[in-house]
Amino acid sequence: MFPTKSDTDSAVDRFDWLSVTLLLGGVLLCYYLLPLASLLLSQPPAAILGQTTEPAVVSAASTSLVSATASVLVATVFGLPLAYWLAAAEGRSETLVTAIVVLPLVLPPIVSGMVLLTLVGPGTVLGDVAAAKGVSLTRSLIGVVLAQTFVASPFVVITAKAAFESVDRNLEYASRTLGKNRLTTFRRVTLPLAWPGILAGITLAFARSIGEFGATIMLAYYPRTMPVQIWVSFTTLGLEEAFPTAVILIGIAVAALVFLTTLGRNPLAR
Amino acid sequence: MTLTLSGLSKTYGDFELGPIDLEISNEVFCVLGPSGSGKSTLLSLLAGTADPNRGSLAVDGRSMSGLPPEARRIGLVFQDGALFPHLSARENVEYASENPEYVSELTRLLAIEDVLDRRPANLSGGERQRVALARTLASEPDVLLLDEPLSSLDEPISRRLRGDLDRLFETLDVPVVYVTHDQRTATALADRIAILRDGAVAQVGTPTDVLEHPASRFVAEFTGNENVFEIRIGTDENGRHGHVGNTALRSEGESGALPWLDSPSAVSAVTVCVHPSRIDFREISSSEKPAYQIPVIVERWLHENDTYRVFARVAGGPVLTATMSRMAFERLEFSRGEETTATIPVDSIHVLERVTR
Repeated sequence: MFPTKSDTDSAVDRFDWLSVTLLLGGVLLCYYLLPLASLLLSQPPAAILGQTTEPAVVSAASTSLVSATASVLVATVFGLPLAYWLAAAEGRSETLVTAIVVLPLVLPPIVSGMVLLTLVGPGTVLGDVAAAKGVSLTRSLIGVVLAQTFVASPFVVITAKAAFESVDRNLEYASRTLGKNRLTTFRRVTLPLAWPGILAGITLAFARSIGEFGATIMLAYYPRTMPVQIWVSFTTLGLEEAFPTAVILIGIAVAALVFLTTLGRNPLAR
Repeated sequence: MTLTLSGLSKTYGDFELGPIDLEISNEVFCVLGPSGSGKSTLLSLLAGTADPNRGSLAVDGRSMSGLPPEARRIGLVFQDGALFPHLSARENVEYASENPEYVSELTRLLAIEDVLDRRPANLSGGERQRVALARTLASEPDVLLLDEPLSSLDEPISRRLRGDLDRLFETLDVPVVYVTHDQRTATALADRIAILRDGAVAQVGTPTDVLEHPASRFVAEFTGNENVFEIRIGTDENGRHGHVGNTALRSEGESGALPWLDSPSAVSAVTVCVHPSRIDFREISSSEKPAYQIPVIVERWLHENDTYRVFARVAGGPVLTATMSRMAFERLEFSRGEETTATIPVDSIHVLERVTR
């Protein structure tokens, strides 16, 4: 006698699990989109347009764009080599270094700002040496970039590490047995194959930088970035005055993300 | 070109490969061994993707010690091809060479001209291996290594590519080291075979040496020789004689002679092997080479590709396996349970182990 499936098993098999995943995912998607839509619809276009010519908002927008771009560049230049090393390394050292990289992600941003102040703030060795050379590491664009890089660069390292790990090691070996050195192999094999993952990390880091508030306000209240400007508007003029600026920040962030996404062509697609 | 391995060894945890001493000239040298015997580790040491713990490697006297893979001029065809998935077949081959004429020649030689614009994902298994081979040859290596390139292919494709490889190897003037677990591939392609077991070389020789004169029971069984059995040695008034099961071994012309038993005095039994192709089922004349005539019962047979494998039991003894062509098999007109005589040439008995009293 062969065992037969129970009625319950058959009912489970018939149940459309894909619809359930879609339903649950859809609820979360609505939770992302509805507040944004609500904010956009609540703001009269004239108020938003009026803010786009406001000198303080224009200045904050340009500071945010420049600092986020600089932070992502710094994170990429220093983060990719570390990610590549982590992807190739094995054992305890890799685990330890990965934990260090993740640390800024788990710290509250305001604590990150405080930590940075103890390193580069006024009265510290680094802060004083830089100040003596006429470079201010706080209350400056450099300060903003330092704060954003600290909190955003782990996204580049962690995501790029995963992207490098996904590249078959034998492809790199194959390249090298064909007479290509490590650098050429990296440039022509590893990087193109890992690029979509790396770009995802860059995009996340940019998004994190442009929205960074806690560490930035501790390290560099001036020049104001968009989040700081929104906070200033909120605390001095009230919530209603802060909303149009928030809409502009959302617009800048979305435009930047769309631009970055266009760079991420899948190397395997033709 | 000569590839020289001197005491080459590598340890991974509990596993140790070597020390291996080999000298490989412009020949096809197959490394044959089961999974986990160290074949891939050996290739990694030769290609430079892993460093040995001890020993050295040289190509024409040029030491490879400490040289990275890119400086060795040792090409490796990977098991799955390891083609760059973001490049077309043409770009893969051109990656290794800036000489367009040579690339064209190779693509023609390996019959991949029609698939050059395809990405690896759109190539069949056989096409992928041909492109991988073209790419490795395009780098003009001093030594060519191949890591089981046929293992993932279907039998008909594998057989065709094996034939093509055989023709290709004849045109190459470099040492070719071909790693495989497949005895048929090794014997079809190799000038010499090294049998690898648990990281050590168990035997090196020509395919005929290895198949007909295996150095150990392991080599015999691994190379597909099923005829490993015991012959008991006894003494009577005519001198020493052997028994397989209930059958006394007699040979035409030299009855009772055991010429393969070089030191008979204290030996009570021997384990021997006979290659299946050396066993026949026909009457022999006295003018032929001495042979044992052993009564057997035909139990069954298998039709494998172009050959027949016949299993025949010796009374009270082992089942002997004989391979033969279809024509030879049909001529015998066997029926199951039929009593017949197996003929084993005396010189095809190969002693593996001796049991002393």
